[in-house]
Amino acid sequence: MSEFAAVRPAPAAAAQGFLGRARRSPALIAGVVLMTLLVLVAVLAPWLATHDPNAQNLTAGLLAPSPEHLFGTDQLGRDIFSRVLHAASTDLRIAVLAAILPFLTGVLLGLVSGYFGGRLDYVIGRIVDTIIAFPFYVIVISIVFAVGAGEGGIYAAFAIVGWVGYARVVRATTASMRASGWVIAARGGGLSDRRVILRHILPNALPQAVVLLMTEIVLIMVAIVTLGYLGLGVQPPTPDWGTMIADGQPFVTTKWWISALPGFAVIYTGIALSLLGDGLADAWRVK
Amino acid sequence: MRPAPLRWLRRTLLAAVPVVIGVVLAAFFLLRLVPGDPARMILGENATDESVAQLRQELGLDKPLEAQFGDFVVSVVTRGDTGDSLFYGVSSRELILKRAPISLSIVAMAVLISIVVAALLATVAAANRDRLPDHLIRIIPTIGLGMPTFWIGLLLITVFAVHLRWLPAGGVGTGPYEPWRSYVLPALAVSIGLVPPLVRSLRAELLEVFSADFVTTYRAAHVPWPRILFGHILRNAALPTVTLLSVSLSFLIGGTLVVEKVFGINGLGMLLFNAIGNRDFPLVQGIALYCALAVVIISLVLDVIIGLLDPRTRTA
Amino acid sequence: MNHAPRRRSRIARAVLSTIMIGSLVAAPAAAQTATPVAGGTLTFGRVASTSSLDLHSQITANNAFVIDKLFEPLLSFDAEGAIVPWLAESYTASDDGLQYTFALRDGVKFSDGTDLTANDVVFSLNRHLEVVGPIPLTAPIADIVATDESTVSITLTSPYTPFIAEMSQFSNGIIPADFGGRTEEEFFLDPVGTGPFSIGEWDPAGDLTLVKNEHYWQEGKPYLDAVVYKLISDDTQLLQQLQSGQVHAIDALNPANVADAQANASVTVLVSSGWAIEQLFLNTLDEHFSDVNVRRAVALALDREGITAATTFGTAQVANSLIPPTIEYSANDAGIALPYDVEAAKQELAKSAFPDGFSATLLLASGNAQRAQEAQIVQAALAEIGITVEIESIDIAAFRARFFALDYDFMINSGLSDQPDPNGLITFQADPTGFSKSYWTSYTNPEVTALMEQGRVTPDGNAREQIYLDIQTILANDAPYIPLFYPSNIKASSSTTHGLVVLPNGSVRFEDAWIESAE
Repeated sequence: MSEFAAVRPAPAAAAQGFLGRARRSPALIAGVVLMTLLVLVAVLAPWLATHDPNAQNLTAGLLAPSPEHLFGTDQLGRDIFSRVLHAASTDLRIAVLAAILPFLTGVLLGLVSGYFGGRLDYVIGRIVDTIIAFPFYVIVISIVFAVGAGEGGIYAAFAIVGWVGYARVVRATTASMRASGWVIAARGGGLSDRRVILRHILPNALPQAVVLLMTEIVLIMVAIVTLGYLGLGVQPPTPDWGTMIADGQPFVTTKWWISALPGFAVIYTGIALSLLGDGLADAWRVK
Repeated sequence: MRPAPLRWLRRTLLAAVPVVIGVVLAAFFLLRLVPGDPARMILGENATDESVAQLRQELGLDKPLEAQFGDFVVSVVTRGDTGDSLFYGVSSRELILKRAPISLSIVAMAVLISIVVAALLATVAAANRDRLPDHLIRIIPTIGLGMPTFWIGLLLITVFAVHLRWLPAGGVGTGPYEPWRSYVLPALAVSIGLVPPLVRSLRAELLEVFSADFVTTYRAAHVPWPRILFGHILRNAALPTVTLLSVSLSFLIGGTLVVEKVFGINGLGMLLFNAIGNRDFPLVQGIALYCALAVVIISLVLDVIIGLLDPRTRTA
Repeated sequence: MNHAPRRRSRIARAVLSTIMIGSLVAAPAAAQTATPVAGGTLTFGRVASTSSLDLHSQITANNAFVIDKLFEPLLSFDAEGAIVPWLAESYTASDDGLQYTFALRDGVKFSDGTDLTANDVVFSLNRHLEVVGPIPLTAPIADIVATDESTVSITLTSPYTPFIAEMSQFSNGIIPADFGGRTEEEFFLDPVGTGPFSIGEWDPAGDLTLVKNEHYWQEGKPYLDAVVYKLISDDTQLLQQLQSGQVHAIDALNPANVADAQANASVTVLVSSGWAIEQLFLNTLDEHFSDVNVRRAVALALDREGITAATTFGTAQVANSLIPPTIEYSANDAGIALPYDVEAAKQELAKSAFPDGFSATLLLASGNAQRAQEAQIVQAALAEIGITVEIESIDIAAFRARFFALDYDFMINSGLSDQPDPNGLITFQADPTGFSKSYWTSYTNPEVTALMEQGRVTPDGNAREQIYLDIQTILANDAPYIPLFYPSNIKASSSTTHGLVVLPNGSVRFEDAWIESAE
């Protein structure tokens, strides 16, 4: 993070300001702590899990939480605690992977669109408008339908629709900076467009994009879980919070923890990422 | 400089044209992302080559891509249709238009609920600026952001339908009022995602208005608080709310479609899920197209309304 | 030899019993209204809509269990599966078993008020012979004659043991001669029958209303003015809408929720054994499942006891043979099933053309939480022997279209008999030339076909028992389908709804049903 700050127009002051504000932002601190915990759990899932997440025990289903099974067992006798942990690594991995490509394309298209303007800007702008017109779940479900349910479908869907937010935000910053004095001066001084974009505009546009990335990961995570619930996402037997909630649905009134615990895991992730995003926004003074 | 009303209106309407073209293009190419042959995908791997060839002909897949696109555009423009549903054998448009009122009713109710809830929370928060209620109201709704709509739906059913028996658990009742009772819980589930950004924007707007001159004047003139609040402040805050709603429309429609599955409501969402199960290519296209067009048209209408109400926003 | 319909299966009587569990705490109102109350509309939740009412061409429960409210056969069966007189008051059979004479009940009218006559019976059965359809009249019928206004005589070319049972199927219901003067198409859009109800509003993709037949032959019945079949998307919603008071009764209840629903004082749960068999069907046209060693490996790899325990919560019995113990000549206790033995399964697969395993897609209908769990057990079990299973779950209407077209690798589904004689079930599941193409597995075995034909002509007794034992043994070893368990019929209603009669085929009779009035 300090690398981004270091290349800003006034590097030293900005870095100090960022770190100083970061230390004073309770949201950022809480977000970092919650997120670190989550990532640790996801990465260490194979070691933290007390059972094989897919091992069925057909005569020991629907057990209540106990020292042996911390979160109880599901209908097929699988250990819910171990499944929730493994699902964390599945869902987090997919969400992060699915977020990377649209982040890169979105930032790139936003820079190009805002910096060069003209016809290219117009075309990219209309593509953004078109994609935004489709309700998020309608377009995601249609793409998953076309490409096939499962992980591949999720990546394809977000690669196609996920970049528009970054493109909008980055384009706005870029376009406003293009007209600013120092960019005009830099170009006049013979710096190449590439250099101006990479060294001067990108560092200023990036913080906003990174803040947006946090929100987008929440959105993708919720979408993965929703697709799982609808049977279009992560396919069994791979543990996933969405399919776990769906499996527990017949028991919501009697054995609430089966559906509720994976649900809480989703909410925890959402809070952690939102706090991280808010905190970064505070520290970077991004609105 | 503000453009003249008529020129502004024409420009706003014209700006929507490329988006409509884009939406039609996207609906056409959406399902041509399929790796391989769509006809084969629809019929499955065990289908005979003849039946695949026949379906290709039926769907016009044997023609060159330009001709297919031409046919698609002609059908969309002249009949508002993406072709007959493969499964139900009737026009996709007919199926969609029959189900659309149900989904739109839920969307409308969700908008209503969000506005009422957000206005209440924002007022309380703004009136208690930087005190405990303000912090709580700002923090708690962000939890809602990470809550999947379907999961909220499950919770609502368990509490309000199964335990308390206040409202229907699902389906759509018959009679003049019963359907609206059936829409309350799904609409509530959808609106929970919309409330946090609304509260945020409304609160900021209210704080700004609270410190505005006219409020100070009214207070000095001893105009009662409720009258100031409802008569003037909320009216001023209404505009950004409508703007935000227009931006969130796509989110609302998408959420409604998903939540229909949880509540077993036969709206567009259920039609979409079944169309996917049936591999009903033209119907999926039709639903995507109609949803996007609905978003474009409704936001256009909202933009025009906002522009007419508040000329300051006419910058397009 | 003149006798009222007999053939009450001994085994059936022993096994079948309608159990009424549920609210033992009767509401005060219930005590006051011990006698049925007439009037009212009963709302019945189901997961599939009714698409056609042609009794001769339809089979799936969504259509069949509307059809059997409209049209009635000469004989029927009761909740215990015993054959009972219905539109025929009695029948006689000649000693050589070639001549059957049915005496029609007096005063039976169609829902339009016209009288039922012997000509209507002749017309109906002839149309069934012509159409053939999914539940055919396979008896070797030479002639159907109306000997007078209320007597019908049927001549067979050779003896046919399951004849009486076959006559009790819903597909042998009676419609007016010449469709009452209308075209076939017109008739089945708004049919007229002798049943307790006729069709009111009907949305083929949604709800259907059955309205009381004012001319019904059972005095004072039905009590209800109407029954609404409400389309509800899945079994979770079914229970929730029952609990929230939106429907009076539901067609299915996930076994996982039986105990929960029983604990609810406002809900009555009806559990009774039936004629269904939950099975894993293997499409023998599929490149992998056409290999008998692959199919046997799958059967050996499945822990049927475990599947039954984990998904049926004590409401079902583990299945060891195709024919359930509620139907005669079940070989459930004969020890013919391939046992659960993972090592043997691996060896069996090694003998197949795919010793290193393969991938296959398991198809099932969505909206059935129980089956979704079964699918995950099958997936885990087959992973043990190197078969990678992908689960595809789709809307029930699409599911039916897919397997009717044999467009699947393997699927979970339920087989169901429509009569107490085993011939119906065997014909449905093992006749590759019939409507159902061996329950859409396309399983073809001339030996089975020959035995099936012998079973039809051999009189009841040890010889016939041996034939069905042989058939079930071959089927267990060839494994075109693997019986998993015999599910119970599980229905539920509000505790103020009374008189629902659940038949062993899963249909609910409503003529005795009534709802306590609100006061």
